[in-house]
Parts: sequence; structure tokens; C-alpha cells
Amino acid sequence: MSHIAPLAPEEIADPELRALIAEAEALGVPDALFPRILARVPDHAKVLMRALLMSHAEGNVDHRLKEIIRIQLARSAGDPYFAALRSARARRAGLTDAEIEAGCGNYETADCLNAAEKCALRYADHMYRAPWAVDAAMYAELKQHYSEAQIMELGAFIAFHYGMQTFMRTLVAKPLAG
Amino acid sequence: MRSASAKRQGLDEERLDEGIERYADSPNFSASEKLALRYAELMATDPDAIDGAFYDALRAHYSDAEIVELGAFIGFNIGYHTFFGTLKFYPLFSPDGRLVGQEESARLYGSAPASLSGAGVG
Repeated sequence: MSHIAPLAPEEIADPELRALIAEAEALGVPDALFPRILARVPDHAKVLMRALLMSHAEGNVDHRLKEIIRIQLARSAGDPYFAALRSARARRAGLTDAEIEAGCGNYETADCLNAAEKCALRYADHMYRAPWAVDAAMYAELKQHYSEAQIMELGAFIAFHYGMQTFMRTLVAKPLAG
Repeated sequence: MRSASAKRQGLDEERLDEGIERYADSPNFSASEKLALRYAELMATDPDAIDGAFYDALRAHYSDAEIVELGAFIGFNIGYHTFFGTLKFYPLFSPDGRLVGQEESARLYGSAPASLSGAGVG
């Protein structure tokens, strides 16, 4: 059981928050546990859930790449909850477990990842393990593969998801599906 | 950068520094405030120390809603400050309120943000 108990579904009356929870459940990330914990502060929950869903599932960076990065970050943050969840949309788009494992492991030598994907994975990997290595040279390399808008989308996605994963790690939460 | 709202409520640089560097032994912070500051510090440096007993201690001072508010706020800041640090941008205004260029701002506020000195969550 999480250190902070989630609200029961029937305790969440706000229709906007209920819709966001349904949207997250359809995506698979997060399952209903995270928003039901956040629902203890409903206004915060709505803003955080909108940001979580938008940063992961919308924008101009491939959702499959973001899904690999999200799992890589969750493992780096030591958060079993977000690390265990999988995006149904990324799976429908063809993302395989083998590609996830390649992206979370030795991605630099993985044949199934292209140079742009490896660069994004390195950006996320270094952001919290070796932030000093995310320097002007790395941004110059990112600009060879991505627009500045895409780099901002990636950076904000990485920062937001890592932050929420770090919080969830301390709650010792596990996915609802076990 | 500083919150104008917090300043208006009496937060000054001395209290800010004390809250960051010397809060544990300070007589100027309540037990509740010290615990919240410890929560933030541990989440960034030693999250395994935030265990069931720590959450029980938090509950002695805060509601579950307040703990979630604090935890999400702390996580958000841990995530974003490291990202911002890699972008090498600095506040638009000097401490005395002048609009300054990025080079001068870097000189004023330092070229190595503290968030870059760590290596993320252990």
C-alpha cells in the first residue's frame, strides 16, 4: 500500500478530474492510482494530470520514443510504479518490449534505434545522472536531429516525468494491475 | 529568482539561507517547517530515507492533502531545476530590479547553478 492512500473512485466527484483519470486509464500511463493519490488536492491533480498526459502523448516528438525515455527515467529514478506501466498507444504504434529494453539498456549500440533516438535517450540519461554532460555540445547535437521546439518538448517532458517519478518512488506505490 | 508573494509575507534572504543551509538546528523554524524542509532535502539526495516512519512523522504535522501538495511540488522542482540548469539561462532582473542581459545575469547569479552539482537521485 502506498504511504499516502488513494481516494476511492466514488470519492472523486470533479467531472474534469474523472475525465482525466479515464483518459489516463485508456493510455495506460498512469493507471488510476497516481491521480487518485493526487486527487487529495483536486486542483493540483487536474493541472498535473493535464501536464503529464500532454507531455507524454501529445506534441511533435514520436510517442514511442517518449515511452522508452519515460521508462528509462523511471528506472533511473528507482520508481517501480511508473517503470511498470506501459502506454497502450505506443504498443499499438508498434513499440516492442525488445525496443524498450534496448532503449533502457545499452542504447548507444542498439541496432533498432537510429541516431536521433540515441541522442534523445542520451539527453534523458545524462539529465539526472550526469547533468554537467548536458552541455552546449549536446544541445548542438540535439539540434542536428530536432527543432528547438522539439528539444523544449523533450526537455520539459523529461523534467516533469522524472519529478513525478521521484515523488512516487518515496510513496512506494505499485501499479493497480499488480 | 524570488517570489514577490513570499517577500511580501516577510521571507528575506537571511531566512531563506537559514532554511536551506541551517534549518535543522535553527530556532527560527518550527518542527513542521523543519520536517517539510527535510522532506525536500531527502527527496533530492536520499529518497530511500523517506520511509513509512517519515510519512508518519509528516502526518503528525500535515494532512494527507498537504503532504501530496508538498510532495508533488518538490518532485516538480527536482525535475525542472536540473533541466533549467542545462539550458544556461539566468534571471532577467538583477537583485535590485534592473533588467540585465544574460552575460551580466550569469556574473550576478553564478555560472554553475547548485542544481548541477548533484548527480540526481541516488
